Amino acid sequence: MATTDIGPKNPAVKAGEAAFDYVDKRTGVKTGAKWFMFRNIPAETSWFQTLGFTAMALFGMQAITGIILAMYYKPDPNSAYQSIEVITNEVTWGWLVRGMHKWGASAMIVVVFLHLGRVFFFGSYKYPRELTWVTGAILLIMTMFMGLTGYLLVWDQKAYWATVVAVNITASAPIVGPYVADILRAGPEFGPETLSRFYSIHMLVIPGGMATFIGLHLFLISKLGIAEPPYSKRRMAVERAEEEARRAAENERLPYGRREVPAVAPATPEPQKVEGAS
Amino acid sequence: MNRGQQEYYKRDYAQAKLEGKPFFPYAVYKDLLIATLAIAAVIGMSIWHRVEIGEPVNPASTDFVPRPEWYFFFLFELLKIFEGQNALMPVIMATFIVPNILMVLLIATPFIDRGPERRIEKRPFALFTGIAVIAFLGYMTHLGAGSHGGVGTDGLPLTGLDEKGQAGAELFVANQCTACHNVAGVGAPGPGPDLTNLGSQGQTPEHWAEFIKAPPGGVMPAFTTFTPQQYDEIGTFLAGLGTQYK
Repeated sequence: MATTDIGPKNPAVKAGEAAFDYVDKRTGVKTGAKWFMFRNIPAETSWFQTLGFTAMALFGMQAITGIILAMYYKPDPNSAYQSIEVITNEVTWGWLVRGMHKWGASAMIVVVFLHLGRVFFFGSYKYPRELTWVTGAILLIMTMFMGLTGYLLVWDQKAYWATVVAVNITASAPIVGPYVADILRAGPEFGPETLSRFYSIHMLVIPGGMATFIGLHLFLISKLGIAEPPYSKRRMAVERAEEEARRAAENERLPYGRREVPAVAPATPEPQKVEGAS
Repeated sequence: MNRGQQEYYKRDYAQAKLEGKPFFPYAVYKDLLIATLAIAAVIGMSIWHRVEIGEPVNPASTDFVPRPEWYFFFLFELLKIFEGQNALMPVIMATFIVPNILMVLLIATPFIDRGPERRIEKRPFALFTGIAVIAFLGYMTHLGAGSHGGVGTDGLPLTGLDEKGQAGAELFVANQCTACHNVAGVGAPGPGPDLTNLGSQGQTPEHWAEFIKAPPGGVMPAFTTFTPQQYDEIGTFLAGLGTQYK
């Protein structure tokens, strides 16, 4: 307790605390946040274990820059290109926001793959974190689809024709391919509906899915705890101790002369005597 | 991992947590530092490399270079590997079978590798697989980055071009067919097949004219805006490649 705690509390502080308590009693949010922030994690964590948070931060950045872009973008074939031009050349800081969104997409792919590599090489996907990996793998696939659907929205030649090829590739898949392609194109041909459909998928469908899976991923991480690096000092010490114990146990079995320990079980098991059967 | 190994891990992890440190601030400061650096790098890149905008979309024009973003180059390159040998099967390999196998393997990794060992040097199969996947993706992305569409638009090194063949060759170059197809060493090595010896298939010009109106297999975009005379010219050109024009 600090010395400032002496005397009556500032009424503003008191009101604030009362409000916090009111919410906490009904939601447990304060207790939950406290648990989340001050729960223990292994003493030694690698710098590579920051990549997951970085991917999430980049997702947040993509969301914010995406919201700003959506304020100016017009998902209509006649005005999409012009609205991109306006964003790039006229809107204050528009070029920066669009640049951040475009570079952010590349950065997110890079960070997500690095995160995947970290989890793979640390063996962090093993028991009990298998399902955390599955949610992460789905997030990675959704990130790739974000890149694919966002590409068309610029509505320049490169974007348009690359997406034509991508949808054609989808259509070449057996059985469901043609139907999925029709759904993506909003019909048998690329048209005005295609652009608004990609816009909706890019802005609503996949981000909604990603937010859900980020939630699941985070829930599992906080429930199971962040994995300890397999090379942490503590882990190495445990392994040394186990090795030592194993060796000691082996030595104990050898008498002074270091002769082989005779086989414990005799070659032919003796018939068991049944006690009490006189 | 059997039951005993799972119990061992749980106990060991509980011990690690017991000897551990609180999440805040020890993990939070690291996370915030790296995330801030990453966002700063993104802002830096967007200032350094101002974002550009290409030509507006013109579905009627076929003057295009269908190239995906760099992170799809490895899939783009797959098209080249499986293209050309046999009509349908290879394309499906690249567009459907291989990507889906990769996705399933990715999702199923923890159910395939269930051993208790976490140190990578004691997991030789995982180490090999990891390095192989990194090498594969890296190499394919590198290849994809190198294959620039629309190479050699100044002309095709062909001889024996008559009037129709010349007109067809000009159409071929003007419509950026070389963005996907190679002819006599000019043009991108893919994703489309090499057309240098297309004529040796013995098809008629009409066949190829119909082909480009509605390409089978679905990957190649259709060219539907030529005049009948232009269809005749490009059909003749394609039918004669490698036989008459070489």
